[in-house]
Formats: sequence, C-alpha cells, structure tokens
Amino acid sequence: MGADRGRGARRTPGRSVAYAACGVVLLAGCASMPDSGDLRGVESTPRQDAQVRVFAMPPQEDAPASDIVQGFLESLTSDDPNYETARKYLTTQAAKKWKPELSTTVLEDGATIGPERAADREDADVVSYPLTGDRVATVDAQQSYAPAEGNYSQSLYLTREPKTKQWRIDKLPQGVVMGKSDFQRNYLSVNKYYLASHAAEGVTPQAVAVADPVYVRERVDPMTQMVRSLLTGPTSWLGPVVRSSFPTGTELADDVTTLTPDDQSKLTVPLNDRAAQVGMAQCHEMAAQLMFTLQHLTPVVEGVELQAGGKQLCALTEGEAADVAMRGSVQPAEYLYFIDGEHRLVRLPAAGSGTHPDPVPGALGEGAKELRSVAVSRDERSAAGVGVDGKSLYVGSLVSGGSLGEPVLTSQGATAEDRLTAPSWDVQGDLWVADRDPDDSRLLLLEEGAGKPLTVDTPGLDGRVKDIRVAADGARIALVVEKGGKQSLFIGRITRGEKAGEAPSIQELRSATPEMEELTTMSWAGDSRLVVVGREHDGVQQTRYVQVDGSTPEGPAPAALTGVKEIAASEDDALPLVAYSEDGIVRLPSGTQWQKVDADGTAPVYPG
Amino acid sequence: MSRDSAASAPGSSGAHAGRPVGRKTAGSRWGRFLEGGLLQGGVQGSPVLRLFMRWVRRPLLPVMRLWRRNIQLKVVVTTLLMSLGVVLLLGFVVIGQVRNGLLDAKVNASQSQATGGFAVARQKAEEAGSGTGDEATTVDGRPAQNVIQWMSDLVESLSSGGQGAFDVVTLPAGNDSGSGRGPRASGDVIAASSVPEALRERIDTDPTMAAQSYTRIFYDADKESQPALVIGKQVNDPNNDPYQLYYLFPLTQEEKSLSLVKGTLATAGLFVVVLLGAIAWLVVRQVVTPVRMAAGIAERLSAGRLQERMKVTGEDDIARLGEAFNKMAQNLQLKIQQLEDLSRMQRRFVSDVSHELRTPLTTVRMAADVIHDARVDFDPITARSAELLADQLDRFETLLADLLEISRFDAGAAALEAEPIDLRVVVRRVVSGAEPLAERKGTQIRVVGAQQPVVAEADARRVERVLRNLVVNAVEHGEGKDVIVKLAAAGGAVAVAVRDYGVGLKPGEATRVFSRFWRADPARARTTGGTGLGLSIALEDARLHGGWLQAWGEPGGGSQFRLTLPRTADEPLRGSPIPLEPKDSRRHRGLDDAGLPRGGGEKAATVPAQPTGDQGPSRGPLAPRSSAVTPTADPTALPGSGSRVVPRPASGARRQDDPPAAGGQGNGEAEGTPSETVSRPDARSEGSYEQGEAFRGR
Repeated sequence: MGADRGRGARRTPGRSVAYAACGVVLLAGCASMPDSGDLRGVESTPRQDAQVRVFAMPPQEDAPASDIVQGFLESLTSDDPNYETARKYLTTQAAKKWKPELSTTVLEDGATIGPERAADREDADVVSYPLTGDRVATVDAQQSYAPAEGNYSQSLYLTREPKTKQWRIDKLPQGVVMGKSDFQRNYLSVNKYYLASHAAEGVTPQAVAVADPVYVRERVDPMTQMVRSLLTGPTSWLGPVVRSSFPTGTELADDVTTLTPDDQSKLTVPLNDRAAQVGMAQCHEMAAQLMFTLQHLTPVVEGVELQAGGKQLCALTEGEAADVAMRGSVQPAEYLYFIDGEHRLVRLPAAGSGTHPDPVPGALGEGAKELRSVAVSRDERSAAGVGVDGKSLYVGSLVSGGSLGEPVLTSQGATAEDRLTAPSWDVQGDLWVADRDPDDSRLLLLEEGAGKPLTVDTPGLDGRVKDIRVAADGARIALVVEKGGKQSLFIGRITRGEKAGEAPSIQELRSATPEMEELTTMSWAGDSRLVVVGREHDGVQQTRYVQVDGSTPEGPAPAALTGVKEIAASEDDALPLVAYSEDGIVRLPSGTQWQKVDADGTAPVYPG
Repeated sequence: MSRDSAASAPGSSGAHAGRPVGRKTAGSRWGRFLEGGLLQGGVQGSPVLRLFMRWVRRPLLPVMRLWRRNIQLKVVVTTLLMSLGVVLLLGFVVIGQVRNGLLDAKVNASQSQATGGFAVARQKAEEAGSGTGDEATTVDGRPAQNVIQWMSDLVESLSSGGQGAFDVVTLPAGNDSGSGRGPRASGDVIAASSVPEALRERIDTDPTMAAQSYTRIFYDADKESQPALVIGKQVNDPNNDPYQLYYLFPLTQEEKSLSLVKGTLATAGLFVVVLLGAIAWLVVRQVVTPVRMAAGIAERLSAGRLQERMKVTGEDDIARLGEAFNKMAQNLQLKIQQLEDLSRMQRRFVSDVSHELRTPLTTVRMAADVIHDARVDFDPITARSAELLADQLDRFETLLADLLEISRFDAGAAALEAEPIDLRVVVRRVVSGAEPLAERKGTQIRVVGAQQPVVAEADARRVERVLRNLVVNAVEHGEGKDVIVKLAAAGGAVAVAVRDYGVGLKPGEATRVFSRFWRADPARARTTGGTGLGLSIALEDARLHGGWLQAWGEPGGGSQFRLTLPRTADEPLRGSPIPLEPKDSRRHRGLDDAGLPRGGGEKAATVPAQPTGDQGPSRGPLAPRSSAVTPTADPTALPGSGSRVVPRPASGARRQDDPPAAGGQGNGEAEGTPSETVSRPDARSEGSYEQGEAFRGR
C-alpha cells in the first residue's frame, strides 16, 4: 500500500500536495473557533421567577398548641388546592364550617401570633391565640382585590380533642390570611373580559371587551380557575356596565376537573346544558371572552372550542377573537401627538423612532389657535384642543383644509390652572372634559365632540377633578381628584344614560392609589392598568404602574425620570411610554432608556 | 499408501481425496465436540432442547465453516475484538477522569457558594431576631417572630441569586415541624424527595457541620429529574429554632460536558476500531493472497500439472517464499521426469531382453528336444541331465512368456477384447482343466452360485487366465482340502471368489502376494510351480477390466481370492457382491488367531507360521473347518462390509463410526483400510515402482 501511494505521489506530486493542503486547511478550520458564519435566530427562553413553594405539612403528633397555629398559618401559604392539609389542623366541625375561598386577607407582614390566652379558666383544654397585623388588602369571594387599611385582629381558639389528646383549631375566622409577599408569590392577577353593555354603535360597531381583574392562586390550575370565574360573572363593581355572553347558569360540565390546551394550544371547554342553545354569534362572543381571558396565562392558548352536551358549539382562534370584540389594547395608535414649541398640534409615527414631527393636517396643525392640551379621537380623525389659556375647548377635524369654529366650551375659571383639563375621547367618539373652576367644578361630556355640554353626574365624588382619562372600553374612567392639596386616583364606572342626550353618570368611584399623596399625571397603560406619576407620603416623585383595583401589578416599573409633568401611554404594550418632563418630550421604547423626542414640546398624547 | 497397494480397487486419486477427507474428519470432530461436549452434557435427555440447539446451530454452521477456513476473517475479527476491548478500557478510564475533574470543580464552586448562602441566612436571622424580637415576646419568654413569611422571603432571596445555577430548599430540623419550618423549595423542586434521607439524618446528628451528597432533583413541573449536588446545613431562624437549609446544584452542565466527552470518545473509538480492522484486513490480505496462490499452485502440482509456477513480484519475504516454492516445484518436476525416463528405459530393456532371449531359446529348445528324445540311449546320469534340461527349459519358456506378457502390460500394449460372457462357462472350463491336478492332490473343487448365469462384459481369455491361476494356486496350497469357487452378481458387478483352507496368509501377505517374484520364504528353492508372475499378471488383467483382484487370508485358516469385475466394461466399480472375508473365517466363527475359540476351552490345532509362496507346495496342518458354516454367496455384501485380513483390531470399531451411506464406497474403503485396498495416486509412479520391484526381485 505504501509503495502504491508512493508511486501515486511520484506520478502526480502537484495534485497530491493540493489535496493535502486542502485537508490541512479543512482540519484547521474545524480546530479553531469560528469567526464568521451564517446568521441564525436566537430563541429567547424567558427566565422564570424564582418561585418559592411551601410544602404544607400535616400537624405533628402531640404538637403544642402554638405549633398548631404556626403550622396552620404556614399551610395557608402553600399551594394545596383545597387547603386539605390546612384542614387537618382544624377540628372536624371547624373544618366543615371553614370556607377558605370566601376571602383572602393580606397583611403587611403576615399575621403575628400573640401570646397564648386561656379562653376558659376552668378548662385548660381551650386556649386562644390572637392574630394581629396591618391590613393591606382583601380579596373577596369574587376574587376581586380591594385595598384596605387598618389593623387586623382576630383570634384562633384551640381545643384539645378529648379522644386523641391533640390540639386542634376549633374556631377561626373565615377565609385565608397571609403576608403581602406570600400573597404576591401565591396569587396572580388576571383580567377576565366581559362585553360592555352600552351599545357601541357609531364609530365601532363591534362589541367592546372590558377587563375585570381578579386574583387567582397561581399554582392551583389558574386556567380552570379563570374559566370558572369567568362563567360565574363579572365582579359586582363592574357588573352594572358589562354583560356576559354566557347564558345565566352556565358552568363547566360536571365531569370537568382541569382544563389544559392540547398540542395545538387549543383549549376545549365543555359547558353544561345551559349553553347548548346559544346561537353562533353569541357563541363566538363567549369564545372571545374566554380567549381574551386566557391569553396571558401559561400554557399559551391559541384557540378555544366550546362544547355543550357533548357537541361542538363553535371554535375560535386568537385572530378571530379580535374580530368578534374589540379591546382597547389591540387598537393600534398610528401617531403620537403633542404640542410643539409654537403651540401647534404635531404628530409623530407612534411606532417609529423619528424625532421630526409633522403638523397635523387641519386647523389645529396650522396654528390657528395656540393650544395648551389636546386629545385626539380614537379613530384619529378629529381632535380637541384646549387653548393656551385653558379657557376654551376647540374641536377640529384632522383633515387638511378644515377650519376651526367657535369653541365648543369655555370655562370661567380665574387662572389657567382653574380652567379646563385636558380632554379625553371615549371609544364612542364622545368628548370628556372637566372644568376645574373652583366655583363650578364639573365633569362635562360633549356627545360626538359637539353640541351642548352635558354635565356628568358624579355621586360620591369628593373634591375637584384635576385630570380625566376615559378607558378604551368606554366603561371606566380614571379621575385625578384633588382634595385638601392631596391628589389621588379614582376609577369610576360610566353608566350611560337611557337615551341619547341624557347625561351619563359615574358610579362607585374607588381609589386606586390609596398610598399616594400627590399625583402629577396618569394615563391608561393596559386593559386594567394605568401608569401614574406621583409621590407617596415622605417619598419622591416616581413613575409606576397601578391596577385599576388598587393592587400593584407584577413586573418592573418604568425607568425613573425626574420632573415628569405629563405622561402618555398606550394600551398597546408595544408603543413606547411618552412623558413631558424637564427635558421636553421623552419616550421610553421597551428595553431601552428614555430618549429625547422634542425639547420644546408639551402635552404628549396617544389617541384617546 | 501406494507401497502397500496391490489390489486394483479404483480408489479416487489420493491428491483429491486427501483434502476433502481431512476436512470431513475435522468437521465431524467439531460436530462431535458440539454434540458430545456441549450438548450431550446438559440436554441429552431433552429432545426438544436438542432440536432447538440444532435449529439454532444450523444457520451458524456456514459461519463456523467460514471461520475455520478463512484466516483473514480470523485475524480481522480478533483485531476488532481486541481493539474494541482496548478502546472500551481507555474510554472508561478517560470518562472516569473527566467526570472526577468536572465534579471536583463543581464541588469546590458549589461549596463556596453554599457556605456564603448559609452565612447570609444566619445573618438575616440575626437581623430579624434583633429587630423585632423585643416587640412580641410571649409570656414564656419565647419570641413569637412571624417566621412563615420570613422563611419564604429568605428562600426567595437566596434562590434569586442563582437562577438555574442552584435551587434552595428548607426542611424542618429533625422531626420538628410546624412553627413555620415546613418544607420550602424554589424553582419547582419537590423538596422532600430531592434531599436524600441520609443527608438529613447526618445534619440532624451533626448540626454544626455542613454536609454534602449527590442526589437527583425531582421537579413538580414537566421537567426531567436531573442529578445534582446537594449541600445542607442546619441554620437558626429569627426565633432561634433550627431548620435545615439546602443548596441544590444541578449537574446539568457537567452532564452535558460528560456526554460530549462520551460522544467524542465513542466516535473516536469507533473510528479507531474500524481503522484497525481495515488495517488488519489490508495487511492480512497482503500475506494471505500469496499464501492462497501458493496453496492453489500446490494443489495443481499435486494433481500432476507439474509445470505450474507461482508469480513472483518484488523481493520481500513473500517473494522469497514464491521463489523457493517455484524452485522446489522445478526440482520435483526434474526428478519425476528422470524417474519416468528411467522406468521407461527399464521396461524397454526387459521387453528387449525377453525378445532377444527368445531366438536363442528356440534353438536351445530344439537342441534340448533332440537330446531329450535320445535320452534312452544315454547313461542314466546323462539321461537325468537331459530330463532336467527339458524341464528347466519349459520353465524358462514359461517365465519368458510371462515376462513378455507383463512387459506388454507395463508398456500399455495390452488390449481388452471385451464381450459379454457367462463366467460360469469360464469357471467350468478352468475347473475341468484343474481337475487332474486336484485329483493328484486329493482336492475336491466345488463351484457355488452357478445356478444363474453370471454375465459380464469381459475378455474371456484373460478372465480364464486369472481364474486358472487362482484355482491352481488354491489347489496347490489347499493341502488337499476343498476348494470352493463362488460366483455372484449384484449391483453392476460380478465376482468370483476362490476359497481354500490351506496354510493361509500371514498378516500383510495379502497385498504382497501380488508382487512380482514375491515369495513368502526367500530361501525357498524355486524348483516347482509357476514363474512367480502369475498373480501379477492376474492383477494386471483385473485392472485392465477395471476390476479388482483382492486377497484375504489368515494363518492356518486358508485364504480367499476374489475377482470383481464390472458388469459392463466402462462402468466404475462401487462394490463387490461377495465379501472379501468369507463367512467361515475364524474371526466370524469366534476363534482367535491360534485357532482357539475366543474365551472357549476347546483346543484347536496350532498353525505355525508357514512360509508360503506362490509356488511353494508347502502344507500346513489342517485348519479346523466348521461344516455348519457354508460359504454362501452374499449378493448384497459390499467391500465395506468387513472382510479383512485378520488381525485388524481397530478396523471393526472404526467402521462403526463411518456413515452407513457414505457418498462413495470407494472413499469409505480408502479411509477405513488404507493398507488393504488400492488407491492409486499416480499410475506412472506405481508403474515405475513395480518395475523397480521387479528388478530387485530378479
């Protein structure tokens, strides 16, 4: 063989050398790290939070009473689906009566167990332990979160069972109690979606989905919990203004225990007979409600199929759901609007990174009136602007050549700060604005941005409305109310008038930022989320998100920015946060730092 | 082999027979080994198992045959197996080293991380304990610090430092539970099953020391469990109650590295094994190819094609082998050529001498006849001389005629004039011709098996010459006892056996009787009888017919000569209708060599070894003859059925092993009785040998 190769090499030495050189080059290429190559996408694997799980332990044999109390409280923080382990700490009667799902009380540092007290002097087998703590919030039976304050003070009564000689809890408050951080670990805020009951004729012929945030236990099959919660109906606060497309009494079929999407991420939801007779349109609405509700849960659901009585009612994918009902967060805003240094209304493409604004077509962009604040309707066809003195409200079309008529509203306030607030358009094309005149503080509505201003009835409103923003669904409104030099954010429910021309009213205002003392500005930043700029007691100004129910959503706050005077966010997460600060107009594209857009601009707004 | 071959049984050529027979023997030995050693030990009793083993073995047989025959396969397979063993060993060693190295690094890093974690946990507990300890002190002085949330927060903060790098688990110390020390775990780890029980006990017994162990992490989610290093220590919570804190470091990366090494080693090992196998194959092929060529050439040489040579290229060892081989073949060819030339010359010389002697002999004969006729006129001494002269002249003439005849055979000039003849006629003629001699000896010649015609294509003159020779010999050596001529025909062959009960033949003489000028006693005066060439001529006659002439005899038990001829001239013989050893031989009658019944007490006449010769009219004592056993013709008896010159101790036992339906009786015969039957490797060499013998005999 060697001789053969030798002969071959002698015969064609050049070729052999070339082959050998090629081989050496190839091998050398394999033996070093590549410094060039083809392009390839990188799949992002989201890092999971370090979830701490507590494993509930049944009570020990002959454990002292204090350990029973501790073990019981600890088992409440575990993810035992039905608190089976916690029930083992109770006597049989107490276990029957105790309803953990009735409420969840969130305390600042968890329940502090006080010293043991003899409940009965004669009977050494009955003792009690006081539980105390600072109340933060409660979650009611409808899983609706509400901020709370004050002291929590309850008692647990323990008896030594005569037969087994074991300490067990005999009497206890209903519901569950836990610390704030345990609550944040164990519970998850999810929006359920219902349809706005007001007919959304006019601009949007579709139904409008309204978010209804609830808290579910994160590791106890949240998907099934959410479906059940959705079927149960909206929370009582939102209930009057929304409707559920599910027929009354609709529940999951009896044999369903858990719901999991299949390989194609499609979730099959079997319903009971009540839902068997629905029509196709209603079924689609039902499926859309489900689809919206489950969209942010894991595992990902990309389609739902409704079944009743064993047969398919309808199926809906994620894309089709958007056609059935509209959500504010998926209506893309085309432009970002603000007022430039010459008090004209200018705009920038919302998603772009350009910094050269164009004046909007129409009178407002031509500088016919110097503006102080503006609002652009959600269809971006018309805009409302408040004059630089805050006295007059103008409504103009965003069509080139359109002229600006007389102001549709004027305020009698003494100074600019006491006159009109920035207006806000709702999804039906009505224009909301508040007059800050201390003598005549009122909330006004101009139907279709014209006509006679209607005074909106605001029962329970205590103080002066400083700022308003109507939610994209048109069913809720965020108000900044000033009272005694202290501002706070209130969320109200918009109850429409019975017929056109009748003023709507705002019902059941509830505070979303109880801990804030000074609220500079705010804007909707999601279906049930707002971004607020404010200051807590003894704190500094900060920008953060709040849920409409007053809880703090998961996830990081936006990057800090000083001197924020106005802020604008879109319900669509993809659009950057825009603020008017000491540096002029700045924006925060996701994943980066604040960028300057325009040094002289003021009053940035997204449509709405 | 050819030295003893006298009978003209047409065994197949020795060169061709040698290898197949050897292989066959080896094969049957292997088979016996399998059946006897491997199978019969355990599964003798179970026919099902035996059937199963046979069924399993059947497809393996070709493989085993290939294994036995192919040295290349052997070497390549052995190389593959050995290199595989080396690669496996090396792989285990390397993987073990890499594993230890990876683990060491991991353990060091993990230990420092865990130690830091334990310190942080202790510090936090102290901070929390001092911060709020005095606020809520129970009546019994026990601080009721709310540790439930504190513990969860601790686990969260500890585990948030090492996302994916480690997980944190807390467990209650000992059997203590409650008081906020229930198990907690980060990252979906199942706390209880992921921490080994032995480690928990160790930490319980020695609370001050951290301890580590290897374990498997089980996850709550759909995540595969994975090996991990777990380090644990007992730490106190703000209430000074102990709990166990564990750091779990998954060995995922190490496992990946190890599997990378494993994959690399496996690939490299595979390549090495394949490469070694290929190298072995190539090298062995280089050696085996010339060896196979040499084997083929040697086979052809042994088949008589002496001009075959190996092709030799190069100057290496293989080339030297080829050159030496070729030289050997050339020398062999030369020698054989020389021997052939010599043999031819000798034959011509004999023939010429015989011819040249004829003419003077005729003259001498005429003169001697004149003298013999006039002997009455001579004095008695002269007359006696004249008679002697006539007698010896007769003998001389006969000898000369025989010599001429045999030289015709040697020269290949003998022609067969075959025509269908009835052997009964020939036998009858021979017997009647021998009658006078028999009467003189007092012998009775009986013919057996003459009821039906025994027809064969043969040369009547030659057959008659053969039979006359046999019958006359039998009468002469029969010592007056009966001579039985038996005829039989079966299976394409006819046979005539001549049985006498004279002195018989000593062991080894049965083949030598056919040698030219052979005599049992060299000192015996050649005064009577024939020329010493009669049986040689008879053998040549039988051979010319394609038949056999074989002898059997036992000392004192008489002898039997059997002529077997094919029924048609060109048909090869496969057997004889008459067994060579007659049924009334001593062995068959159960007598030993001395004529004593085996194991019996009857004393029989001892037959001393008598020098017997073709012409020797010596007589031995009477052999006891059993009248009950009549030698009858056995038409189906074949040569393989056990007629032998006694004693032959091994042959009987040996024959049992031979397959009863062996492919060719000739083969079986050749194998079983190498000294008895004839296998002619080379007609020429035998011819030259016989010629030489003839010279020597003279």
